[in-house]
Amino acid sequence: VSINKFNTHIIPTRFEYHTPTTITDAVELLKKYENNKILAGGTDLIPKMKQRLLEPRHLINLKKIPELRGIEEKGDKIHIGALTKLREIERSKIIQKKLPLLHDCIRSIGSVQIRNMGTIGGNVCNASPAADGALGLIALDAITHIVGLNLEKEVKIDKLFMGPGHTILSPSELVSNFTVRIPEEGSGGCFISVGRTSLDISTISIAVQMTVKRSRIQVCRVALGSVAPTPLRLPDVEEHLTDRKVTNVLIETAAEMASDGIKPITDIRGTAEYRKQAAIGMAKEAITTAWEKAKEAER
Amino acid sequence: MSKVSEFTVLGKDTRRQDGIAKVTGREVFSSDISLPRMLHARVLKSPYPHAHVKSIDSSKIKDLDVVVLTPGEVPDIKFCPRLVSTPDSTYKDWKVLTDKPRYVGEAIGAVAADSEEEAQRALELLEVEYEPLSAVFDAEEAMKKQAIPIHDEIILDEETLKVKNNIGCQVEIEEGDSKKGFEESDIIVERTYRTNRRYHNQLECKSVVVRPEPNGGITVWSTTQTLHNTRILLHEIFGIPMGKIRVIKVPLGGSFGSSIQVNPVVPIAVALALKSKRPVKLSYTREEDLHDHCSYQMIFRLKLGASKEGKLTSGHLDAILDIGGHQIQAYPLLGCVVGWWVSLYKLPHKSYMGKAVYTNKVPSCAFRGYGNPQITWAVETLMDELAEKLGIDPLDFRLKNYIGEGDLFWGQGPSVKSIIQSCGVEEILTRGAEMVDWYNRPKAASQRGRYRRGIGMGRGYHTSSAGAPVPGTVIDFGGAFLKLNEDGTFDYITALMDHGGGTIDAHAKIIAEELCVPLDNINVVNADTGTTVYDVCTHASRGIYSGGGAALKVAMQVKEKLRDFAGKMLDGYPHALKFRRDMERGQGVVYAEGIEGREVTFKEIAYNARHKNWGTIAAVDSYRQPSCPPHFTGYFVEVEVDTWTGKVRPVQVVAGADIGTVINPKLAAGQIHGGFAQGWSMTVNEDTPYMPKEGDLWNHGFIADYKIPTTKDMPPLEDFQVFFANTYEPTGPFGAKGIGEGALNPVAGTVANAIQNAIGVRFYDLPITKDMILSALKEKEDTQ
Repeated sequence: VSINKFNTHIIPTRFEYHTPTTITDAVELLKKYENNKILAGGTDLIPKMKQRLLEPRHLINLKKIPELRGIEEKGDKIHIGALTKLREIERSKIIQKKLPLLHDCIRSIGSVQIRNMGTIGGNVCNASPAADGALGLIALDAITHIVGLNLEKEVKIDKLFMGPGHTILSPSELVSNFTVRIPEEGSGGCFISVGRTSLDISTISIAVQMTVKRSRIQVCRVALGSVAPTPLRLPDVEEHLTDRKVTNVLIETAAEMASDGIKPITDIRGTAEYRKQAAIGMAKEAITTAWEKAKEAER
Repeated sequence: MSKVSEFTVLGKDTRRQDGIAKVTGREVFSSDISLPRMLHARVLKSPYPHAHVKSIDSSKIKDLDVVVLTPGEVPDIKFCPRLVSTPDSTYKDWKVLTDKPRYVGEAIGAVAADSEEEAQRALELLEVEYEPLSAVFDAEEAMKKQAIPIHDEIILDEETLKVKNNIGCQVEIEEGDSKKGFEESDIIVERTYRTNRRYHNQLECKSVVVRPEPNGGITVWSTTQTLHNTRILLHEIFGIPMGKIRVIKVPLGGSFGSSIQVNPVVPIAVALALKSKRPVKLSYTREEDLHDHCSYQMIFRLKLGASKEGKLTSGHLDAILDIGGHQIQAYPLLGCVVGWWVSLYKLPHKSYMGKAVYTNKVPSCAFRGYGNPQITWAVETLMDELAEKLGIDPLDFRLKNYIGEGDLFWGQGPSVKSIIQSCGVEEILTRGAEMVDWYNRPKAASQRGRYRRGIGMGRGYHTSSAGAPVPGTVIDFGGAFLKLNEDGTFDYITALMDHGGGTIDAHAKIIAEELCVPLDNINVVNADTGTTVYDVCTHASRGIYSGGGAALKVAMQVKEKLRDFAGKMLDGYPHALKFRRDMERGQGVVYAEGIEGREVTFKEIAYNARHKNWGTIAAVDSYRQPSCPPHFTGYFVEVEVDTWTGKVRPVQVVAGADIGTVINPKLAAGQIHGGFAQGWSMTVNEDTPYMPKEGDLWNHGFIADYKIPTTKDMPPLEDFQVFFANTYEPTGPFGAKGIGEGALNPVAGTVANAIQNAIGVRFYDLPITKDMILSALKEKEDTQ
């Protein structure tokens, strides 16, 4: 990008701004204007437009569609509207109580100001490998609800990402909400992220969620951020831990496997070697903490 | 000696005059100013780190309502944007717009239009033909024979100089015989250090509004630390008579030294305003600002020798300064680097070679401490290593060697020498040591386990101005104007800029103290170059010592006039009258002690003076301070290293400062908190690396990838203790010295020493990132 174009102050390009009030209208607009971008919270989109990484001709603002926003507990599931503000999720008693892992992930995103603006749908659909919210949803095995013109579909969230900034969504589709099954009794999770300062995009992050029955790991999900082109789930590590009783040796080997399983690059936030090495300690801590919390909950 | 107890206003926390405007957002900064018919400007920047601009084609925008400015349309004058030194120390290599850019981001043109967006669109339609040149991004590489010359000719005091090996200037000094000194040393340690290149990240990006006036003059509102030098430079470049250039004082949204020089936006906006005959505003975006200025990266080869009794015997320092594409104050800095170094500890023999080297990077300028944080980091690291080798406690080693009261001091360089008259080093070090239980700190690298804690100490100082008994190469004087209003209050006017630290409030307190009036009666008037006498610049932590010294000088003159007028009114002898503050009446009072009824308020004096046509009581004067007293600081810091992630966090901080009389305790402590945060970040975080292929900053100027710490990265307030030494500077206003830069200078050395105490590894490069810590720990583990 040219130094004479990029900045974080001015959007000199012209675009049309649309504010639909129903999902149907929104989807129709998305279909009608292919060169579009969805505006949810704008905390990623607007800087990207100023940086000229994106120059959409049409901006579809979804903020005026009430059904896209809110947190609801239905049976054994929790539904989170894609336009729900990150701060709303962070402060939700339901999330704090039923999905503490997601709460921890969300709280780690940006600053209070960012979380007041940013949405969970935006955090996910921006498809950053460093997205803390996405990482939490992956570890919780969330389902993504996608709506298009005369189309509705569900995908597991870890299947949503194609690469940095790219999802499987077509330009005429949007994410309406996420569904997370409430973890069973005896579950625990842990999220850790390391950045350059406390207010930073993760250099590397990890989320682990597990369910323990009779002192054995029954279900386990391990996901790492900023270590690959997409948020990365590590089935090998999960499999290694599943149906096992946790010992120091098991954790050590799982941590080594996690480090071997990631494909980090060197960027301005940290070196590839750093990420490989830090992954070991972070995986150890995350697995141990999730295990301890799950055991605590089992009692 | 302390006089704190006698003061009525000094030493007490008082409300800032600009506080309400700032916290309510009503303060107007230069980037807030908007004028009728004002144009908005955008700058055309070089995408190449080194190139010739062959042509700028603006035919695509000729039908638009846009003003374009190209290098051929600006005065063909080479200048230096910083005018703090005498001409024989001021190297000139800048132009308003260049046709030979020397770093990515250098201004090669500009446009102005009715809105910023229109200007930006026009900018994108300009077609520039470049001839790219090879570029060099490392100071050591730049000095090699095969390196491309960045400047062929530069100007010093009207004389043209040829630049050889990209060395912009150099300084060599030897006192005693360092070679002999090393021969006589029992122990010698030599290390090479490399600092980071930090961006100031001041809140307000560089900004200016220029209005052309009907008389051919201009009015300027800009981000600056010096009104008068801005006017002088614009006069030199554009030839406008100085009386027709009015530079208005506007609050500065932070600076940290980045507006000691006249910022490049200022002359560009002046040229656009003169061409368009309309007011022009030019505010840099954060990304442009990050391509505008940064600190000096320094490479040191430092060698120190000591006797086995623990006395330093000899020292040698080679300093290579990476100054980027232009000189701002490289030559004076070379003098300061050696000054900072030799004024820390007594060295019977010392030698120095300093070179300032051009590279194709953003030009470096002063950044809080002006090279002092860099060299103090190296010295304080090496002092620890020497102490370790000598088997002496590092604190005791420092106490044996520090430069203190009665010693010669030349921190501001070889031409600014004076004798230290107040020193709290010993008090800072012994009291701080007690507070952290220094002598029981962990043995280096004695810990196992994931989290390892360590305690480190470091000390330093900075000057309070660049004063001295005789003139040197640094200009340093200020001035003030004070007058009694008809209601007994005062208007105070100074050209000195407040960067946001509350400097001018300190002046008001000094005046209130001297005149025995309530602080509220001192009204600070914002002024301009036409209504103030010269002040060089707010830098060198001189705001209180120099600026406050000028305020005190005029207050004393006003006091004499008050005495005379009161003498007439009271039928008393002026020299026998006394002053007191009367809070009930909200007035200063002059009275004859012991004689009932013989007293008069300032308001009554002013009333009488007006109706009897005696005139206004006022004083205006310049003030040159006689000395350059260092303010001393010392830090004790406990850190915790996470050996799994390489992250290090500050656990507790104890900071002691000798600033003479403390004028505003909370603001002074605030300087220390801020200085620590900035120093912490310098140690473990900040840098502006380049991508050699593109020649641009790796972060492209985005602060999302230039992180500075937040309060969450600092220790809780209860674990951050600040104390002030009980000292009094005889040459300072009411015994006061500076604090701004000393608050930062020793931090990097202290933190690095604490990290070493925790994990047993010394680092010779800044910043000490989590990546470096983890990799060093792994290496250590692998070799064990």
